[in-house]
Amino acid sequence: MNRKRIIYLALGVMILALLLGCSKKPEQELADSKAVLEAVAAEGGEKYAKEELNVIQSEMTAAQDEMAVQDGKFFKNYDKTKEMLTQVKAKAEALKAEIPARKEKAKADAQAALDAATMAVTDAKALLAKAPKGKGSMADLEAFNADVQGLESALTETQGLMTSEDYFAALDKANGIKDKAAGISTQITEALEKVKASKKR
Amino acid sequence: MIKTVLLLIALTIVTGCKSAPVPPEVSEAEQQQLGLWKAGAEIYLPAEYKAYIRSLRDGQIHLASENNRFIWFRNYKTTKVEFTNILTQGKLLEAKVNEHKRALSGNISNQIAFYRNRIETLRKLASLINEGRLSSKSLTKAELQLAEVCVLSERGCYTDAEQKLKGISRHTEHAANSMLPILNRYADNDKITKWRNWVNETVESSKRSQSYSIVVSKVDKRLFLYKGGRSYKTYEIGLGTNGSHDKLYAGDKATPEGKYHVIKKVPGSRFYKALLINYPNEDDRRQFAVAKRKGLIPQRAGIGGLIEIHGGGKNGMTYGCVAMEDHHIDELFRIVDVGTPVTIVGAIEYENSVTSAMKKL
Repeated sequence: MNRKRIIYLALGVMILALLLGCSKKPEQELADSKAVLEAVAAEGGEKYAKEELNVIQSEMTAAQDEMAVQDGKFFKNYDKTKEMLTQVKAKAEALKAEIPARKEKAKADAQAALDAATMAVTDAKALLAKAPKGKGSMADLEAFNADVQGLESALTETQGLMTSEDYFAALDKANGIKDKAAGISTQITEALEKVKASKKR
Repeated sequence: MIKTVLLLIALTIVTGCKSAPVPPEVSEAEQQQLGLWKAGAEIYLPAEYKAYIRSLRDGQIHLASENNRFIWFRNYKTTKVEFTNILTQGKLLEAKVNEHKRALSGNISNQIAFYRNRIETLRKLASLINEGRLSSKSLTKAELQLAEVCVLSERGCYTDAEQKLKGISRHTEHAANSMLPILNRYADNDKITKWRNWVNETVESSKRSQSYSIVVSKVDKRLFLYKGGRSYKTYEIGLGTNGSHDKLYAGDKATPEGKYHVIKKVPGSRFYKALLINYPNEDDRRQFAVAKRKGLIPQRAGIGGLIEIHGGGKNGMTYGCVAMEDHHIDELFRIVDVGTPVTIVGAIEYENSVTSAMKKL
């Protein structure tokens, strides 16, 4: 009889420990995970890690769902919630650590494209400078000059995008300018060749 | 009693290993949600996507509470039905998103084609009236923006592409507006009628005198030489920066429109050879006086002169003269005498290259 009582007591203590030990709501873990996710977004996660951020946010929602389920139970067990939140936090921290490098790469790519575009516009301007001025110059040259002005204005806009850290938009714009400038240079060269040829005649 | 407890523990271990599996629809739905998000459902159909997410979350909450039931009592039948319904809802949404994107893509492609055509037409018009300097800056900006739209559209970023498209019309309209005052001159039937009368009179005088007459059509960039009232030769010509305007005063770089005649042949011109015409004539003087009175020209401006048909090449920019290739002026110089009528008009035909290009705008 004495032995039985000891066994019941031991089982009761174990069950009680199990129930009480895990019943504390992981408020701190939840707040920590939320804070890291917010930090990821502040770092530029929406721009540089959109897909990964979305996955982690879904996992965060699942953790919150799990927490809600436990909230509604009489015998609460937040072990799984804690585990899920710990994972969310770890993944978010890892992602946050990656963002500066991605941002730097985007910046470097955009800057390289902007440099190439600036060079292409400078080349087009240099070609225009070679063309004869005033009466007797080609009719197209003034139009080319206006084209180059359009490119220069677009270069300024690209610089503005760099300043506002909109690197992807800056990259696209710079690539467009470079291609257009190269096209204009080709047209100017062809027009100058035409003038040379007509002068030889 | 100990035996009973041990039996219960053993039973729990054995049955625990045989817990009912979570239906595969659950992970399929999670994958589906990711796919829908990537496809842009949140952007293109936000209300439907929100409803789908709500269903998914409800399902996940029910799943979580099922998972939290004691292992013996877990039953995923309802979960399976619920997630099957979510998958169906997701598939419908996916189809809608794809349809929406197809429509957007088609619309963007149409707009790209429209603006490409518009830019091309405006470039052509600018070239016809020699006014690239007014419109090229805006057209270049429009072309750059259109290139960005193409890149965004290829990437499937239709909302961004649509947003960027809105800015293009500002540039094309600016380009069109900068040229319209000049273009409208070539679409003005009253003006064309007046020019046609001048041309007819000039051709008639050539017929009467059985000699040569010259007609210069600005819009055609052609010099027509008539002999005895019949077309004898046609030469390509070039005009100046403001060649499409009618000359009003000295330094406006415009080419005069009117009935003139050759007053001097200049064999040793700076531009190879030249035929000097009698600009300003009486009409020009009257027009100049009216413009000055109305304050349309600078008060100190003179009426100008020294308007020639000269060599130097048709691609040369003139200050109001008519430029030709050297071998053409050679020929014309040989044929034409002092006194030969020279009529310069904007256009001869009502349906000319400017009016037909303007119809495409």
